[in-house]
Amino acid sequence: MNELAESHYIADRALATVLFLAHRLEKPVFLEGEPGVGKTEVGIVMSRLFGTELIRLQCYEGLDAATALYEWNYPKQLLHIRLEEEGKRDREEIEELIYGPRFLIKRPLLEAILMSEERAPVLLIDEIDRSDEEFEAFLLEVLSDFQITIPEIGTIKAKRKPLVVVTSNRTRDVHDALKRRCLYHWIDYPSFEKEYRILMTRLPGIDSRFAEQVTRFMQKARTVDFLKKPGVSETLDWGRALMTMQRAFLDETVVLETLGCFLKYQDDIKRFKEEIWADAGQRGEYLGG
Amino acid sequence: MTSEQTTLAGEVIRFAGFLKGRGFRVFQSSVHDALRSLEEISLEEKGDFFHSLRTNLTATDLEWVQFENLFDQFWGRAGRDQEAAAEDRRQDPKTGPPPSVTEDQFLPDAPADASTLTDSDDNRQWLEGIAYSPVSMVRKKDLGRFNQGDIPMAELALRQMMAPFKIQPSRRTKRGRSAGNLDFPAIIRKCLKTGGTPFEIFYKEKKKRLKRLVILADVSGSMDRYARFVMPFLLGLRGIGSRAEVFVFSTSLTRVTFLIRHLSVEKALARIADEVPDWSGGTRIGYSLHQFNQKYGDFLLSRRTAVVLLSDGWDLGGKDLLMREMAFLSRKAHAVIWLNPLAGDPAYEPLCRGMKTALPYVDYFLPADSLQSLKRVIRLLSRVMGH
Repeated sequence: MNELAESHYIADRALATVLFLAHRLEKPVFLEGEPGVGKTEVGIVMSRLFGTELIRLQCYEGLDAATALYEWNYPKQLLHIRLEEEGKRDREEIEELIYGPRFLIKRPLLEAILMSEERAPVLLIDEIDRSDEEFEAFLLEVLSDFQITIPEIGTIKAKRKPLVVVTSNRTRDVHDALKRRCLYHWIDYPSFEKEYRILMTRLPGIDSRFAEQVTRFMQKARTVDFLKKPGVSETLDWGRALMTMQRAFLDETVVLETLGCFLKYQDDIKRFKEEIWADAGQRGEYLGG
Repeated sequence: MTSEQTTLAGEVIRFAGFLKGRGFRVFQSSVHDALRSLEEISLEEKGDFFHSLRTNLTATDLEWVQFENLFDQFWGRAGRDQEAAAEDRRQDPKTGPPPSVTEDQFLPDAPADASTLTDSDDNRQWLEGIAYSPVSMVRKKDLGRFNQGDIPMAELALRQMMAPFKIQPSRRTKRGRSAGNLDFPAIIRKCLKTGGTPFEIFYKEKKKRLKRLVILADVSGSMDRYARFVMPFLLGLRGIGSRAEVFVFSTSLTRVTFLIRHLSVEKALARIADEVPDWSGGTRIGYSLHQFNQKYGDFLLSRRTAVVLLSDGWDLGGKDLLMREMAFLSRKAHAVIWLNPLAGDPAYEPLCRGMKTALPYVDYFLPADSLQSLKRVIRLLSRVMGH
């Protein structure tokens, strides 16, 4: 936990235990939680902690094996074939040449496997729920033995298993087969104490009383049933924005001016203005008066 | 292994069985990993013991939420309280060091059968006669008799059913005829035969996408007792990707896709009830369909759209309007599926006027009275929605 804190990530014991186990059991960690609670950050911090490379694979609808694993550099291959046209090489020689490492474009997964020669990297597979199920199934194969076969080259196996962090925003359910291979952890919104510590750690130079005020405000805002409750990343954004504006305390005007830093839907902003900010009592509570 | 450790391992296995019996999906490999984890952590720390089991034996947010309670029930509250106290101490340096912990506190302090779980009426209802598996029980229960406490379990069961159910748009490509993205692997393959001159150019195009799903759910008075279930069902459909749209109607129509995607069951229910002015009021199916066809028909209905109507068919509106709108719907959509919670009764006949009027325009008419029957619905849907 302390090591995580030194890497500027405030974790509770539950997460620290999970990461420790992931390292020891060589199992991927599957992180779920609302957007903005710091899932992606875990991967980034892990790589900092272990002093290894971070390889990030951002998932999206339509992501396929070619984009995640490797691809042949077809234009370059074509060009090469053209150049060889007048040469004396026969077809087999050309084939061998153009399917060599020179023409291979390494994508994150292959990169992670190749990099494990020296030190196991951290592989962050971000927002797996955005990818298609067929990609998820393909991932299973890679995650189970970190071995891939490129027909033209052969099988490449990772020397050490990368530490894998998979994140999901729950826009769809991820298949059991994938979850079974992972340690599961749900990251919740932080407690007051934790969020305060996050602010103090991540925004050096922030006044402690101001940090306390912002934290109290955000904790209170999270009790409202907004369409998108503000996460920790919103707290940090807001804190950063306020510091840039050289504010060191919250008042009625500055909150209204900077609402967009932590509320991301027009409905929520309208609701905040009409139901909360219009009421003097509530305003006072939010500002900690 | 010492005998104490053996007992602990045995208890962990028994705990896994206990969770399984309560609807958790616990895999053999997860139990194995849980035991391996215990070798890695210090058993002195109660919190670590709890965290290790939780990370290995849960796989969804719902299980995560329920785990704490079930852990307490099985292992006794002592362990967790100790951890909470320790957490407090960490936050307040003035109090002394944590007292030492003995291993026997890990062992369950009460037999872990269902009889120990009836500490509240709620629990009793939950588990009545179902020490074996609440999920299988919930599946058989008439959905009309669901109480609030059943919803998490129903949701868990629904998610399990949905797991193999794929309605993701396909982004795989196939060989195409018209100019589009170049299919380099194919060009190269051909090229090699002609010494590198690409005489033939190949294109690839995206395979057809899966169909769009539109759900229109009746939340009127007569459906009220089902509505609390209808919602978890709709929420269970969250996993079907970006091409599903959900509407609720009683006397008029409201689009709730956004709420369903973004909020939890309870909150979505509350918000929908809030936003639908006549929730639990009378039904005007025809008018609601008219609103749908007018406002959303153009961009939501096509030959690739499957429409699911969830209603008992009790209609206060005009017959002609309903007939006209149903005809429009069936003409525009690929398939119209009507789910009726009353149709599960073998003696049911579609006698009410609304149902009678609509039936000729319906491609599939299915009961939706229990999770079991919904399973059939899901099978049908995956067939209709496929290529």
